[in-house]
Amino acid sequence: MTVGAKVKQTLATLKGVESTLRVYSLQSSNEDEKEVYRSALNTTKEVIKDLENRLKVLEYEEPQYKGN
Amino acid sequence: MQNWLIMLLRAISMFVVTIPLIRLLGRGNLRNITPFKFVNYTIIALMIALISLGVVPNILHSIIVLGAWFALLLSLDYLSLKSKAIHDVINGKETIIMKDGKVMEANLKEVHFTGEDLLRELRSKNIFNLADVEFAVMESTGEINVMVKSDKKPLTAHDIQKKVAPKSEPQTVILDGNILDESLANRGLNRAWLKVELAKAGVSLDNVFIGQVDSSGDLYLDLFDDSVQISQPKVKELLYANIQQCHADLLSYALETDNKTAKEMYSKNADKLKTLINKLEPYLLN
Repeated sequence: MTVGAKVKQTLATLKGVESTLRVYSLQSSNEDEKEVYRSALNTTKEVIKDLENRLKVLEYEEPQYKGN
Repeated sequence: MQNWLIMLLRAISMFVVTIPLIRLLGRGNLRNITPFKFVNYTIIALMIALISLGVVPNILHSIIVLGAWFALLLSLDYLSLKSKAIHDVINGKETIIMKDGKVMEANLKEVHFTGEDLLRELRSKNIFNLADVEFAVMESTGEINVMVKSDKKPLTAHDIQKKVAPKSEPQTVILDGNILDESLANRGLNRAWLKVELAKAGVSLDNVFIGQVDSSGDLYLDLFDDSVQISQPKVKELLYANIQQCHADLLSYALETDNKTAKEMYSKNADKLKTLINKLEPYLLN
């Protein structure tokens, strides 16, 4: 597996994490709990953004694997 | 009028009179009642019984006496709410039975308690060893409350300096196969959400005996048919495992890449996820 494909897989997992955190940040009843999930959601978003940027570079470097 | 009819009318009218009178007395737990109140309640109950049986010939007199007892009891109740001194006179004060791990024999005698009684009360509180007791007090209701020595107290999260997630009370949303709309609304959920959750668990509504939504919005189900195995929510554990996996991935990318900025980016984000894991741990694993 190329680096690009691996990063993509991690990205997919992270996006799954993001969506679960979003559900919990909405459906929690305790305000503190909600806040923790919300801040976790923001951190995950930041990581996802960084990884997506890195992925663009990788795809530029290894265009033959683009879209895999 | 016939005699039996009078008796019947008497019984019915006393019954009807008693209901609001009992409501007036307030709603304390009868188990934790002071002797003063116990005597009063007994006397009132006896009076009502005697009146309805017709032992007292003059019904007006009996009503006056009953009313007087009630008025006295209620006014004393009211006064004891207002004044601590009156409260102490009527209900008595709590008595310290054990202090600094030592039995106060004089106080014990004062409340007519023997050593055997004390040991029995302690045992009923799961304390079999007198040496474990730091402080014990007999309340004015006769109940004994005990503070055990601090090294014998149950361990709390605070003691081991572990952070635990704050939790709100769970809401029961299904009972006996019926949806409780009010508690659903309390949590800001609706029937559509519940239907989705039930479909996810693969059970029909009629099969659910109790369904509870916990603080983080997960649905716990107990079924009528106990042979059906349903998967209880494991979403949080899965979420935790996923974040950990991403963290490990980022660490390995940081090692693999030769690009300096990418290395930095990966390790920075790995650190972010690490702090995230630490923060979420009490919420996701419990």
